[in-house]
Amino acid sequence: MHAIQTFDLTKRYGTRAVKSVLAVDRVSFVVEQGQVFGFLGPNGSGKTTTIGMLVGTIKPTGGGFDLFGASGPEGLLNARARVGATLETPNFYPYMSGRDNLRIAAGVKGVGRPRIEECLELVGLSARAKHRFKTYSLGMKQRLALAATMLSDPELIILDEPANGLDPQGIREIREIIRTLADRGKTIFLSSHLLAEVERTCSHVAIIRNGRIVTSGAVAEVVGGGSAVLLRAEDTDALAGAMEAYPDASSMRRTGEGVIAALESGDLASVTRYLAGHGIYLSHLAPYRPSLEEVFIDITRGAVDPMTEIAS
Amino acid sequence: MKILGVLLRIEWLKAAKRRTFWVAVGAFAAFTALPVVERVRNARSDPNAVYALPESWPDILGSATGVGPLFVGVLMILLFAPEFSWRTARQNVIDGLSNERFYAGKAVVLVGLVLLFMGTTVLIGVGGTMLSPGGGGPGFIRPSDLSYMGGLALGMLVFGSAGMMLSAHLRSSGSALAILLLYLFVEEVVTRLMLGAEIDALRGAAEFLPFNLVEDLGDDLAHYPDVLEGVNADRAERGLAPLAFLKVGVLAVAALTYSASFLGRAFLSMRRRDL
Ligand SMILES: Nc1ncnc2c1ncn2[C@@H]1O[C@H](COP(=O)(O)OP(=O)(O)OP(=O)(O)O)[C@@H](O)[C@H]1O
Ligand SMILES: [Mg+2]
Repeated sequence: MHAIQTFDLTKRYGTRAVKSVLAVDRVSFVVEQGQVFGFLGPNGSGKTTTIGMLVGTIKPTGGGFDLFGASGPEGLLNARARVGATLETPNFYPYMSGRDNLRIAAGVKGVGRPRIEECLELVGLSARAKHRFKTYSLGMKQRLALAATMLSDPELIILDEPANGLDPQGIREIREIIRTLADRGKTIFLSSHLLAEVERTCSHVAIIRNGRIVTSGAVAEVVGGGSAVLLRAEDTDALAGAMEAYPDASSMRRTGEGVIAALESGDLASVTRYLAGHGIYLSHLAPYRPSLEEVFIDITRGAVDPMTEIAS
Repeated sequence: MKILGVLLRIEWLKAAKRRTFWVAVGAFAAFTALPVVERVRNARSDPNAVYALPESWPDILGSATGVGPLFVGVLMILLFAPEFSWRTARQNVIDGLSNERFYAGKAVVLVGLVLLFMGTTVLIGVGGTMLSPGGGGPGFIRPSDLSYMGGLALGMLVFGSAGMMLSAHLRSSGSALAILLLYLFVEEVVTRLMLGAEIDALRGAAEFLPFNLVEDLGDDLAHYPDVLEGVNADRAERGLAPLAFLKVGVLAVAALTYSASFLGRAFLSMRRRDL
């Protein structure tokens, strides 16, 4: 059973053609229940807009989506009772205490008082719960937002850059909370810039650029799906030149380590034979697994590398 | 029905924790109570100056109509518009209210404000006369007093709905307040121009501008024909033209029409736009 499914979800801000912005362009993806799904993209790529549509604060201008299989205004309103979410920054009443702010959210969600205390405890805010929200540090605000999303013990938790502005300790705390939630079988959908973080916490990932999904799938597939190899030889220039002309290499780039090439066939023996034929003898040949960051940079730079483009 | 209870609870919590809310309510109470205190003191020292219900209603309601509608309009803006800049309207919707329900919550606030201000006014009136020696005429309240109270409530409703419309459209309390005050000023000027023109139709229409309407509804002369008669007799002696007021029913229908259209505009804007 899937938690989120979008089909050709589209948002164009503004109605006048000259000034309108196509923020999200025919985005389709599926988040299965139990997944920790990372939604990656550079600034302005449409992450917040996509999440805004899922949580009901932004009206799509095209396509659609369902939550737990439910769609339509009434269906989504009911399905959202099973969802906890925050969008962009923590949004609270600045003049109210952390606890009172949670009372508002709990009122909307129909949750009782004991649960408020539990959630405050869970994010370590109990001691400061009676202080006004506007006196909180950024980390405390983020943690209060996390507490608010967990109030109704939702099955699906949607977080827009939960680690934004946190120090390493804070990021680690958020990671631990997310892991705990995932272990309890919750579905988590989070957007982030922190690639290493996503690689560590997420099971699945989608990368969005200019409002379009460029790749999505299991993290292992996205980073290791292509049969890329790292090659080294005495004369790197000659090696690069030869690989450029090699018909089976769908892409090639030089790095400090040597030459990384994506092989369509994955046939290593042919590569060594081909290079030896050109008088180049390899000192190193190994399968190459890029980090998510490399994949991300590659893709979002615009050079959509087939070695990382996975059909989902 | 359950949702109404939820809206009432969260909106009450939001307002009750807000200092601005209590300052505004307190200021309104003070404005309304001060003349009453003065009258009660007079009545205590001067046996001829009786201060008792129902005769004192026009007095009490008169001071409440002076500031009540504007206070409700301003408070409505202060309780609504910041929800956009704080993005708490957005969070309320994420938490499970729909845009329509969020709007309904603010409509509950409007009704609550009108009731609260009316209640405060009545309480001050009753309290004042209880402290004052001497009794009034028969009964506690006369039909004209009820009509005047209705006029006060309608005035608050018109201003409050205008506050809601401005909040929903402008989404910032600063601009909403500025536009409200600017509009009051503009209407004042336009009214003067319309009345100055020697065209009857224009003069008649001026009375139907929203805030002139509220002013008429809050004028005791519109509700107490005997007082109006006295004033006009006095004016005739001084060679002035008599004052005339539209029927309260006509004023009321016009006020309700304005209020409904303001609320409708606010609703459409809430429904259409992203948060
Ligand atoms: N209310 C709006 N009106 C007009 N354009 C908007 C609006 N909100 C967002 N946009 C535009 O839509 C595009 C996507 O914005 P969005 O906030 O979804 O990006 P994002 O991926 O969340 O970026 P970031 O990583 O910086 O948070 C951007 O070009 C942005 O300028
Ligand atoms: Mg964003």
